[in-house]
Order: sequence, then structure tokens, then C-alpha cells
Amino acid sequence: MHYPWWYVPNFTAPMLIAGIATIHVFVSLYAVGGGIVLAGEVSHAYRINDKSALDYLRTHTLFFILLTVVFGAITGVGIWWTIGLASPLATESLIHIFVFGWAMEYVFFVIEIVSAFIFHYYWGRLAPNVHATVGWIYAVSAYISLVLITGITAFQLDIGNWTPEKGMWSAFFNPQTIPQILARSGASLLLASLYIYLHAAFKLKNHPQLRSLIENRISKWGMASAALVTAGGAWWYVNIPESARSALAGASALNILTALIFLASAVVFFMLYFGPYRHPGWLNPGFAILYFLLGIAATGTGEFIREGVRKPYIVYNYVTGNNVLVSEIPKLQATGYLNGGVWTKAYMRQQYPRVMTTDGNIDYNKLLELPTTDQLRVGEVLFQYHCNDCHSTRGFSGIDRLTQGWNKDMVSTVVTHLDKAHFFMPPWCGNDTEAALLTKYILSLSEPAPPGMKFSYAGDSEDGSTTDVIAREEKNR
Amino acid sequence: MNPTDLIGPVSPLGSPAPFWFITFFKVLGFILHMIPMNIWFAGMILVAVFAAFGKNHSLELAHRLSRTMPVIIALGINLGIVPLLFTQVGYYQFYYPAGVLIARAWLSVIVILIFAYYGVYVYSLGVRNGRRTKFALISAWVSSIAFIFVGFLFTNNFSLMANVQDWIHIYSRTSVGGAALGTGLNTADPTLFPRWLMMFGIAMTTTAVYIAFDATFLKKRDTSEEYRKWAGKFAFVFHTLGVFVFAAMGSWYIFGTLGKPVLDQLNHSPVMYFVFALTAISPGLVWIVMLAQRKSVRRNATIAAAVLQLVVLTLNAISRQWVQNEEIFKFERVSELPVRVQWSPLIVFLLLFVAGLAVVGWMVTKIVAVERSEAGV
Ligand code: HEC
Repeated sequence: MHYPWWYVPNFTAPMLIAGIATIHVFVSLYAVGGGIVLAGEVSHAYRINDKSALDYLRTHTLFFILLTVVFGAITGVGIWWTIGLASPLATESLIHIFVFGWAMEYVFFVIEIVSAFIFHYYWGRLAPNVHATVGWIYAVSAYISLVLITGITAFQLDIGNWTPEKGMWSAFFNPQTIPQILARSGASLLLASLYIYLHAAFKLKNHPQLRSLIENRISKWGMASAALVTAGGAWWYVNIPESARSALAGASALNILTALIFLASAVVFFMLYFGPYRHPGWLNPGFAILYFLLGIAATGTGEFIREGVRKPYIVYNYVTGNNVLVSEIPKLQATGYLNGGVWTKAYMRQQYPRVMTTDGNIDYNKLLELPTTDQLRVGEVLFQYHCNDCHSTRGFSGIDRLTQGWNKDMVSTVVTHLDKAHFFMPPWCGNDTEAALLTKYILSLSEPAPPGMKFSYAGDSEDGSTTDVIAREEKNR
Repeated sequence: MNPTDLIGPVSPLGSPAPFWFITFFKVLGFILHMIPMNIWFAGMILVAVFAAFGKNHSLELAHRLSRTMPVIIALGINLGIVPLLFTQVGYYQFYYPAGVLIARAWLSVIVILIFAYYGVYVYSLGVRNGRRTKFALISAWVSSIAFIFVGFLFTNNFSLMANVQDWIHIYSRTSVGGAALGTGLNTADPTLFPRWLMMFGIAMTTTAVYIAFDATFLKKRDTSEEYRKWAGKFAFVFHTLGVFVFAAMGSWYIFGTLGKPVLDQLNHSPVMYFVFALTAISPGLVWIVMLAQRKSVRRNATIAAAVLQLVVLTLNAISRQWVQNEEIFKFERVSELPVRVQWSPLIVFLLLFVAGLAVVGWMVTKIVAVERSEAGV
């Protein structure tokens, strides 16, 4: 409402965030866990003076850099780009609260980049203790950057006792932060060990002895991390807000996914234990790929759920999914949604000057006098600014299918009682006229009930395509 | 309709830092970002051209540039975070709408960057039997063009931020049901092209100084006396070209496109008039130093050129900030918005900033020591 809404046909703009965030997390977690594992293993290899392990770790470091410094870093910036486009008000708010958190993060990013390149380019040229120290500098700064960003994403799901007067620390130390840090630390080590398996299974095909050694050592990291993920996840679940727990309980898909994460973690744990830990040499490329995919699935669904259960908020109890501040809702309901939005009002003023009062506000009585095609167009604006962040018209969570076969009363009831229909929708933030216009627009989109069913409502005069609605309205005039 | 009607409300959270602080870090961050960014902006095209058509020394230059390019790009992208962060704190009412109006182009920056960056790696790792592969050569072209295009997209967003008058036109042309499709670009803005190309001119001068610096200091034992002679001459020629581009585009920008109110304001502010004049002539000082080493790069001259180039970039960043403020203050005095300073996070950030510099400094001393001992100094 403060900003223009970005319309991404069939998909919705916020789903772009989910898409980029998911692919980013596979690499960024590896960037953290891989740093820790590499530093630990390199230190160990120097201590026992194991040349062949060092050689392998060196080739792995190049792979690591090519993936994390390029793809990880740019997709990370990409998330930032996308949240600014798809949720500008939430991003504005988060940046006001956490600007120095992000600024600190930037300091650690720079240290990460410098240390990663030095670690790689000066391999074998720096004294072993200096080289290992550089590795640890990388590991520590990468880990701190994980902690910082996790505090921010945790805040989105639970603001705890934060109020605007309290500033960043109170926002950062919300009830979600520590459990999420634990779970993510585990996920990062888990992914790191799986990446190393994957890489080693191909790179060390012809060096069975070295491969066994690496497998055996890495499996310890992997098993510890699977335990961390489980502990962090359970703690997280105990601490989430009631609404998030209800969302999990209510949505069977989310339930299945949660179970899947634990299942996948457990499977990985046992596979690591009975596989490389007890029987080194057992790992072949096929199994490595399987492990890897399981790890990716567990991490991906974990992040997906974390994002999903936040609804209807982008920042819990502060910014709603439709990009309004919770504190603004009463005023919008009183004076009108279109009237309260900067861009919606500008749009109305430009398209329909005749419905504007002399002091520049929308005259809602005149809105109902517009021809039906125009009323539908106004309904479309309401849909874009109030619903399109979660629903497309046709496509992802498409309103055409969600209201398939519905009659006018049903649509109108849901529109005016969004949060009652589903607590993960925001409340209706407009006035009655707007609700009527939006209802009309949704009816013009909704699919008729599939024909041929015994209890089908086909033929119910309340339903119909765009042309039906227009024709009916014109007749009534 | 009044352009200010499209400017969103002020954040009830209050600005987390005083405006001068935001501006300071925005400008400082931008200077730090410009140094590496300039080198890939104008340097990658040199790599592509010389890799394809160069021989001997020019081929060697392509090789040398591409060897450090991945590090330069990684640093430059990260150093870009700070100015963008402080832009979003201080100028959010302008930054977000502009971004949304050109959302598709703006988001494509990310995709293009991934290709451009991997292209650089493909080039630098793509050697077979001592020769670059075809694929490597093509990748260098793709990268260099991609980087120049990304520059164009950045200029679009940052010029559109201040070009509030045009928002409504772009919005009504490219919206569906009142929501922006994100297919706009700021091409109707006369400042767009000169701004983009002016930065390219500056980038050429920075790259020229970097070429001299590289020949003088980096991996010196790999270079021959002949190469250093050639590099001095080439850096001078390239710098001269850069100064031409900068002067031509800068004049077009200031005299041909900058709004009268900003020019009037300039005439009324002796300090800024002076800074502007310095900004305009400062590349000339670097040019004189480059002229002095056109026969061969020299240590002291290179250091002088590098320091002066830093001054050039600083002056540029300050002048740009001033113009941006003048243009935006017309719509909203963002410098006077309510402030609720977050002191303790601010102080922790500053401390970490200093500590971070120390850690980076420590690592750099270690590698300098390695380089020296390997060179037998
Ligand atoms: C914060 C996200 C969000 C917003 C905003 C939102 N919804 Fe929903 N809505 C949902 C979710 C999630 C569902 C469940 C979807 C599913 O089951 O596939 C849903 C379901 C629905 C359904 C189907 C209800 C049912 O019981 O089957 C309708 C109708 C609906 N929404 C209409 C709207 C309308 C109209 C708006 C705008 C005024 C809106 N929603 C805004 C998230 C949202």
C-alpha cells in the first residue's frame, strides 16, 4: 500500500522469494559448515602431517570457493533484491530495525571473502599454522554471519517482547533465535559433509584408501550435525507461536513435510553410521548422490516450513502479508483500502477522476455507479493489493480454483471474514463497498463446478463467467 | 497529478541513525565499491578484446587482468552491500518504488551477474595445452558485455529513484489492475545515458591506473622490463581515452540534462561549486602522472596515480550524493525525518568494522610476507 505492488502473473511475487531463498540456502549453509569442516580437517591434517589428505582438501577448497563465493554470494544478494521488490514494506521495516545487524554481517562477509581466497591461493605457501588460522578466521566469520541472519529471519516469525522503542537487540534475541541457530548449525554441518561425500566420491574414485579415511572422518561431523538438526528442530517446535503450530497441525502437507525432515535426518544418521563410519570404503557415487539429495530435501523443507507458518504475517504481528502495518488496519477499514494506499489512490485518481471528491478522496457511493466492467476493474485492483501476495488469479494458489463452484454469498462471506475463514489470512482491511467489488471480481474468475456431478451447482444463477456477471448486472440496471 | 502523491509514508520506526551517518557510510561504501567495480566494468572488455585479438604484451595483459578478476569481483560485490543498505535506510521512499517499477530488469541483474561471474572463471580456468579454449574466449565476451549491461540497469534504478515525475507515466504504461508488471525502464530520462557512460569513462581511468599498479607491484617477477614499458604506455593511452569519455559524458550530463533547479542550487553554494569543479578537473591530475610514466611504469608515479585516483572517486561519490540529495529533497526532506538512533548496535558495528579491518590487515601482511620471501626480496 505504501508501495506499488509487483504483479507476477500465475506465480505471485513472494513465491520468487521462496524460490531464490531455497536454492540459496543449499549453498549458504554449505558455505558455513564447509568452512568449519575444512578448517578442522586442515588443522588435523597438518597436525599428523598427512600430505594426501591435504591434497584432497585443497581440491575440495577450489570446488567450495567456486560454489560459495559466486553462487552463494550472488543468490544471497538475490534474496535481498527480491524481498525489496515483493515485500517492500516488510523489508523497509526490517532494515530499520536491523540495519546495523546487516552492516555487521557485511563486515564478516568481507572477512570471509578475503580469508577464503587467501586460504585457497596461498595453500602450501603460508606456514601451516598461519594457513590453518586463516581457515579458522573464515569459519568463525561465516558462522557469525549465519547467527546474524538467523536472528533476523527468526524475528519474522516471533517478535517476542520487541516494541519499536526497544531497538535491535530485543528484536534479535527473540524466542526463535537460539533454536533456529542450533537447527541451522546442524544443517550447515550436515550439508557440508554431504557435499564432501559427493565431491570425494567422484574425485577420489581411484584412491580407495584416502577416500575411506575422508569418509570416516567426515561421517563424525555428519552424525553430530544430524543430532543438532533434530534437537534444534524440536526446540524450535516447542517455541513457535500458537498460530504457527496450528498452521502445522492444520495443514496436512506441512505435517508430512515436518515428519519428512526428521525422517530424512534419521535416515542420514543411520546411513552414515552403518555406512562410512563403520564400514569405510562403502561409499560410491550413487550413494553419495542419494545422501546428498536426502540432505537437500531435509534442509529445503525445513526452510520452506519456516517461511510457511509465518502467515498471515511477514513480520509477526507487525507487517501483514498484504504489505500493511497491523497498526494501519483500523484506519483502512474505516476510510477504505483503496483510499488508504498511496498507489491505489493514485491509480483511482488517474483512471476514474469522476469518482474522486474535491478534496482528493474516493467517493465510495460513486464507485457503485460505475459500469460493471469498471467495477470489475476496481475489484481487480483490490485483489492485486490485498490478495495477490498469496493468491494468483489462475495458477499458484489460484483464486479461480479455490472458489470453484462457490456462490456469491460464500465468496462475500470469506472476503469479509478472511481471518475467520482461515487464521493464516489477514483480516479484511477494506470497507463494505470494496468487499462487494472484490466479490464481484472473484466471481468473474471462479470456475464453475465441474459438470456431471450429481450435486453439482452448475446452472446456479449466482455463478458464472465474466460475461455472465456483466450481462446480469447490465440487465439489473 | 502531483508527483509527491506517489511518495509513501514515513516509517513509524524512525531512522536508526542520524542522516549524516547514513550519508557518510553510503558515500564511503560507494567509494570502496567503485574501486573494484570500475576494474571489471571497463577491464573485462579489455580481457575479451585482447584475448581474442591481442598478441604478446596485450595478451599478457588479458591474462594478468583475468587472474585477479575473480577476487576483484567477489570483493566488489560484497563492498556494494553497504551503500545499498544505507540507501534503503535513508531513501526507502524512493528506492523501493523505483525498483518495483523496473522489477524485471532489476531482478535480472542477479541472473546476469551469475553468468557474468562464472564466465570470468570459465575464462581464467579455460586453458588447454597452454591455450585458451574457444569457450573461454566466448565467455570473456559474454561476461564483459553482461557487466556493462548490469551497469546500465543500475543506472536505471538509481536515476529513476530521483526521477519521481516519470513514475506515474511508467506506472500507467506498465501496470495490470493497478499493480506494476515491473517491465518499465527509465529510458525517457535524459540523464540515463550520460550517467551510465560517464561511469564507464571513470571506470576506464580506474582500470588504467590498475594496469599500471598491477605491472608495478603485483607478481612483479612474472613481468619483463618490456612488459612494464608497454603497460606504462598502454595505461596512459587507455587513461586518456577514459578522460575523454568522462569529459564528454560529464558535460552532456551537467549542461545537457541536469535540471535547472539543481544547477541554480549549485550556483548558490560556493562549496559545492568548488567540489564540482574539482570533480571535473581531478582526472586531469591523474592524467599528468600517467603521462609521466608513459615510457614505463614507475613505483612512485604509480603510487601517486593510485592515491589521486582515490581522490577522483571520492570527489565523484560526494558530487553524486549531493545531486541525489538535491533532486530528492524537492519531494521529501529525507534528512529531516524523525530519528531514533540505535546507539548500541551502531557502536558495536563501528567496533566490528575496525576489528574487521585489523583482521583483514593481519592476513594481508602475511601474504605480503610470502610474496616477498618468494621474490627473494
Ligand atoms: C497471507 C496470505 C494470504 C492472503 C493475503 C490472502 N489469503 Fe486467501 N488463503 C491463504 C491460504 C494459505 C489459503 C489456503 C490455500 C489452500 O488451501 O490451498 C487461502 C485460502 C483462501 C480461499 C479458500 C478458502 C477455503 O476455505 O477453501 C479463499 C476464497 C481465499 N483464500 C480468498 C482470499 C481473498 C479474497 C484474499 C484477499 C482479500 C485472500 N484470500 C488473501 C492465504 C492468504
